[in-house]
Amino acid sequence: MKKFIYLFSAILVLGACTDNFEEINTSPYQLTDESLQQDFNNVGSFYPSMFSQIFGNQVNHNLTNVTYAQHLATPTPFVGGINNTTYYIRWNGYWDRQYNSVMAPANQVIGIAESTDQPMFVEWANLIKILSMSRLTAYHGPVIYSQYGPEGDGSYDSEEVLYNAFFADLDRIIALYNANTDYVGLTAFDASYGGDIALWAKYANSLRLQLAMRISKVAPALAKTQGEKALADPAGLIETNAENFNISLYGNKFHPAQICFEWNDTRMSATMESILIGYEDNRIEPFFDPVEDMALVADHPDWPYKGIRNGAQLTAKDDHLPYSTIDIDFNDPAKVTTRKVMSADEVFFLKAEAALRGWAGAGDAQANYEAGVRASFELWGAGGVDAYLADNTKLPIDYNDVVYDGLEDGSVNDFTSDITITVAWDEAADNEIKLEKIITQKWIAAYTNEMEAWVDHRRTGYPKLPPVYQNSSSSDWGLIPNGEILRRMPFTNGQRENNASGVADATAKLGGPDEIGTRLWWDTGGPNF
Amino acid sequence: MTKKLLVILALVLGSYPILAQDKTVSGTITDASDGSPLPGVNVLVQGTTNGSQTDFDGNYTIEASEGDVLVFSFLGMKSQSVTVGSSNTVNVSMEEDASQLDEVVVTALGIRREEKTLTYAQQTVRSDELTKTRDPNFMNSISGKAAGVEIKKSSSGAGGSTRIVLRGNKSLSGDSSPLFVIDGIPMANNRGGQPGMWGGADGGDGLSAINPDDIESISILRGANAAVLYGSQGANGVVVITTKQGSAGKTTVSLNTGYSFEHYQELPDLQFKYGAIGAAKESWSTDAGDYADEYVENFFQTGHNFNNSVSISGGNDKTTAYFSYANITSSGITPENKYNKNNVSFRGSTKFFNDKVTVSSGVIMSIEETKNRLPSGYYLNPLTGLYMFPRNRNFYDFKDNYEIFNSDRNLMAQNWFVDDHHQSNPYWIIYNQPRTNNTKRVIANASIKWDILDNLNLQVRGNYDYKTEENEQQHAATSNGTNVHANGAWDFSDVDDQLGYFDAILNYNTNISDDISFNAVLGASYQQTKYGFGVSVGTGVLGLLYPNEFLFQNLPTNVPVNSTASEEIIKQGVFANTQFGYKDMLYLDISGRNDWASTLALTGNQSYFYPAVGLTGILSEMFDMGEKVSFAKLRASYTQVANEVPYNRIFPQHSISANGGVNRNTQAPFLDGKPEIITSLEFGADFRFFQNRLGIDFTYYSLTSTDQYINVSLDPSDPVAQGIYTSQYINAGEITNKGVELTLSATPVRNDNFQWVTAFNFARNVNEIVDIGPDDERFYNLGSSEGYASRLYEGGRFNDLYVYKFLRDDQGRIIFENGTPRKTELLELVGNLDPDWSLGWNNNITMGKFNLGMLINAKIGGNVFSQTESMLDGAGVSQRTADARDAGGVTVNGVDQDSGAAVTTVDSETWFRAIGDRNGIGEAYVYDRTNISLSQLSLGYNFNVEKLNLPISAATLSFVGNNLFFIYKDAPFDPELAMSTSRNSQGLDNFNLPSTATYGFNLKVTF
Repeated sequence: MKKFIYLFSAILVLGACTDNFEEINTSPYQLTDESLQQDFNNVGSFYPSMFSQIFGNQVNHNLTNVTYAQHLATPTPFVGGINNTTYYIRWNGYWDRQYNSVMAPANQVIGIAESTDQPMFVEWANLIKILSMSRLTAYHGPVIYSQYGPEGDGSYDSEEVLYNAFFADLDRIIALYNANTDYVGLTAFDASYGGDIALWAKYANSLRLQLAMRISKVAPALAKTQGEKALADPAGLIETNAENFNISLYGNKFHPAQICFEWNDTRMSATMESILIGYEDNRIEPFFDPVEDMALVADHPDWPYKGIRNGAQLTAKDDHLPYSTIDIDFNDPAKVTTRKVMSADEVFFLKAEAALRGWAGAGDAQANYEAGVRASFELWGAGGVDAYLADNTKLPIDYNDVVYDGLEDGSVNDFTSDITITVAWDEAADNEIKLEKIITQKWIAAYTNEMEAWVDHRRTGYPKLPPVYQNSSSSDWGLIPNGEILRRMPFTNGQRENNASGVADATAKLGGPDEIGTRLWWDTGGPNF
Repeated sequence: MTKKLLVILALVLGSYPILAQDKTVSGTITDASDGSPLPGVNVLVQGTTNGSQTDFDGNYTIEASEGDVLVFSFLGMKSQSVTVGSSNTVNVSMEEDASQLDEVVVTALGIRREEKTLTYAQQTVRSDELTKTRDPNFMNSISGKAAGVEIKKSSSGAGGSTRIVLRGNKSLSGDSSPLFVIDGIPMANNRGGQPGMWGGADGGDGLSAINPDDIESISILRGANAAVLYGSQGANGVVVITTKQGSAGKTTVSLNTGYSFEHYQELPDLQFKYGAIGAAKESWSTDAGDYADEYVENFFQTGHNFNNSVSISGGNDKTTAYFSYANITSSGITPENKYNKNNVSFRGSTKFFNDKVTVSSGVIMSIEETKNRLPSGYYLNPLTGLYMFPRNRNFYDFKDNYEIFNSDRNLMAQNWFVDDHHQSNPYWIIYNQPRTNNTKRVIANASIKWDILDNLNLQVRGNYDYKTEENEQQHAATSNGTNVHANGAWDFSDVDDQLGYFDAILNYNTNISDDISFNAVLGASYQQTKYGFGVSVGTGVLGLLYPNEFLFQNLPTNVPVNSTASEEIIKQGVFANTQFGYKDMLYLDISGRNDWASTLALTGNQSYFYPAVGLTGILSEMFDMGEKVSFAKLRASYTQVANEVPYNRIFPQHSISANGGVNRNTQAPFLDGKPEIITSLEFGADFRFFQNRLGIDFTYYSLTSTDQYINVSLDPSDPVAQGIYTSQYINAGEITNKGVELTLSATPVRNDNFQWVTAFNFARNVNEIVDIGPDDERFYNLGSSEGYASRLYEGGRFNDLYVYKFLRDDQGRIIFENGTPRKTELLELVGNLDPDWSLGWNNNITMGKFNLGMLINAKIGGNVFSQTESMLDGAGVSQRTADARDAGGVTVNGVDQDSGAAVTTVDSETWFRAIGDRNGIGEAYVYDRTNISLSQLSLGYNFNVEKLNLPISAATLSFVGNNLFFIYKDAPFDPELAMSTSRNSQGLDNFNLPSTATYGFNLKVTF
């Protein structure tokens, strides 16, 4: 009997074979680091995923900064009309997207690139990190940047520390890229510039100029130093549309087109209607589509476009669906394959403002202003730029929300435009007027990438945008007095719950309560000059 | 005769492999009360696994030696032991016994034991309890019939899944589901996808492969104690399903036919008095009207379930066979919801080599087809549009014309009054976004048992379980643009699940001395699972090249076709179990197991051992406890079970993203992972009084789960993240579950014509998160939705419910600002989703040929949360909002935060828009889970077949009502219905299909 037991036990002990366990526990449909070494994909293949997360989705962008910049507006009364667009915060998800899908993978890629001695890839990822965080800080103010990484303590940077860190990192990136303009290693992975290092250096300089301008009021000396550095750098700036920095859509549809045409959740803004029609701006045609129902545009039938007021009072979604959509070409992934991040027009407008601020190397304000407008017209294929630039009479029009004319209060959502400047440059005008012209044109040209337009509006007060009609702000997220604007997004609830001490520290660094009315560092509220 | 007819139901009990013995003993077993023969009585040679059964005429034969003790046991009868003497005939007259104490029950790995020797809690539910209720998913009928078993039925209707938790949630990351075992072999119970707040439908689970008529009994081993022999997969308890086997003797044919119809129990309380203002989608007019109200009810229909099955069993002393076929055809309570299932099963057993080798095999095949199983959640759910339709509009315009011709596109397009992400035309979804789920499954097993010696046998078994499942939803062009491209969308998956299992078990029995018996089981098992291997496509808003064509060639280049793999695991184990018995009064169990799990590869911890020990003392054998005490037993056990981590968590790699790039994995490697440990201590007492007419079975348990495997999402500020990881897995934490389970059974009345048997099953489980890991402040989201989260905090409990509450001042007044109530900044604890205790009260009254059954279930305590009510309030369509408008506003106890003035009345729309809709003030939508329901009522009649003069040996007709009504409840929906049967979204109602009451009859005829 016992021999059976011995035999049996022997079988059992020999039976445990664990050699293939590692293979079994690896998904056959994931790509291993080893496999990715082929064609150097272990570094390069991660860049498309990071770039494609720079722009957020509907709630991250379209219902947040796009609506605050007033390029597009929603016809949909989400959550009973009380939501981000009317200053009651429902969605605040851009933070998680940037850390989970850009920052963490970027740091991993940097680690691999460093270990395989590929500094050009290291700095490419560092540039993406600056791009990501420079956008995120425009929402919240303090973010976790210099202390994010293997050596960091995870604390928030004050904005002053943050911008200095951006500039220091840009110094290193630009120096390396300028020294290696013949490097071709990025080519296979770079859907933006095809691996052209000289163009990346131009973008990095342009980004420095953009960030320098952000802080021009709060830290004028630093801004000037950094701005002049950008203007003087031998690599130059993005000054032709061919040099524009665009992110590939990687075959996907331009997301706002999905929001507009599939979800019917976004339309042209009333502000766009007021400004583009008032100035008779031909860019309206590539931007938006005309309405079908001419009754909606009885006051300007020659310009049959109709927009929705941002922060409108909305009864039913259907009410405003007949208003102007974005241009139908955006809905075709074959026609619109990229999204603009930094374009020549923006650089010219930055230089125009730099000229007003007396930064060396900026050139002439008027020349830059007009070059910016021309670059934008060229980019969008719009005609009539000469007449446009020469026009010294046309002004933005007042807005009437025609579908609500029948309401008891027929003036619901209507506004009178506060903009009194014309397009034509006036060299005799004071800097304030000149700045208003520059920023107003910069605002129009920013179409499809509204982040900086929102920053400029908070920083300079331009363009003179109408306030929200429905102000649903409350003490929950901070009260915004009627006529005033939301100035930031609160820290996320995820941070408040998981990192309460960090948020307390960040709030101290913010210099005001963690509310939507608190001004960011560069949003001084003081005079522009 | 009545008894005889009743027991015929058990005729098809299994016949068990027989050890070679000295001689053949035969005899007749009769009922002591009337002398009638008893079929289906278990006969077992004590201390062995050698057993037999009586045939229809009460006759049995068994191989035994002189001096062996034969144990006769039968449901409802007192077991008897008779020592085999020189005679070859042993006749026994059995006495009635309301208890089922001395029964031989099936335990771990199919090993049979006398129930009284068990050192742990086990409760058995017999086949008649299962088939009586005729629930298409048989596990739903267990609810209330066994203590400590929490069952939540999916809201998705026929073929849906069931959530079962034994003794509370034990794992922070797993879903705490028990292991299902059929005839000793683990079964794949891979649950399909589950709905969440954003939509989706229940993908069913593996249990539906089983024909309930094939089930002999279901034993529930609640503790890990019982499950140690199954390894880690039994850590959450085991549900042991024993199927019917062929038996030697006369061929028996059994026919079962049943029909039931079902109707919704309750719809949300909707108003039809106030319509919308203008084109608004919400009904917030304050001008009363008289609007159509019947279209909501008319959307639902009466569901029908047809059950038909036939089984044939028979054989001779060498070979037995059992065959069955069953069909379930159902139509649900919503249009086009259909379910069809065909089951075929075969089981055979043959003895070779002088009966020393028994070869058995079985095959179960099932084919299931489900159409339009309703989803839950906000998106693509017909109920959102149905409930929220503005009252002043004409619903029939949209019902009759759910599609209209679109001349711009030259196709039929959806017709609905609004373009809204939450709403579609309900009939469009039903007819033009059809959902199908087709499953085919084969479970095949074979076993060889070799009786090496009289008291030593070796059993080798193999099992292969294969399922292929095709899921598809074809969304026609112009379906809701939030989820569907203008050309339509296609969700398709075709995946296979495979489970291969192999074990070898050596079983040895001996008597060490006259007083001490010894039993040893030594075994090894190998199991490989491969779940979810196949392909899937979800085009969503990315589109199709040409409208309304659902095929791979029609996919645009940016739609990925995914190769899928949800898990592949190899587990190997060796185990040993020994039992020492002393004078039939004291039993000691010692077990141990070592596992090797592939999911712990690279950690060095892939091999792990865990022990169990148990002790049972039968007091009534030790002491003379007087006449009143019929039986008394105490038991105690200590068990450890280790639970490996899930698949592909240790060192995950990178995945190709839809844009053609590669998504870098940001989960930190888990190279020091180790198995979770559940340590349990259990004490039990089983007392029977007054000739077993009163019984108390009590269990106290204390479970401690440590080294919990937890997924921690790493905040960017977390130093552990190192700026490169966004999540990590750790082994940490400690969860305790302490509880009591009490079964009180009694036969208050028993005489010749009338018997009343009643049983209470009571359970209470107290859960505590003792330690949450290294960071005490950290919490884990078990599931969250807008304004709702189920979270774990240290010191809290599993399933703690967090919602936004009203902001209140010191006096408890709601703080208002500009006329609107304010809410808390963050989600706050408001209650717990689990009940404080559960009670099932089961009654059986037999009167002549009639049998009346009644089951009352109660859950006391706990909370549930309704996003449905919140949305309906926000849309102004709930009756609550009409009542408020009738009253001229909502009466509140509030205060204005700026002026300090009291706020006593709020405008209805302002109030409900603030607290309702999405992400409102959830506190207003938290309900008490407490409910008492009449879960089952049945009336059966046994025909006097002898008078019919037909070749029928038994016939029973029964009428059954399931889930009839609530005697008490607080929630405006069935709080026991689960939107999801996974761990997430428990206690959440988000446009769930209403629960149904079922009425039907069942006729069973045996030839």
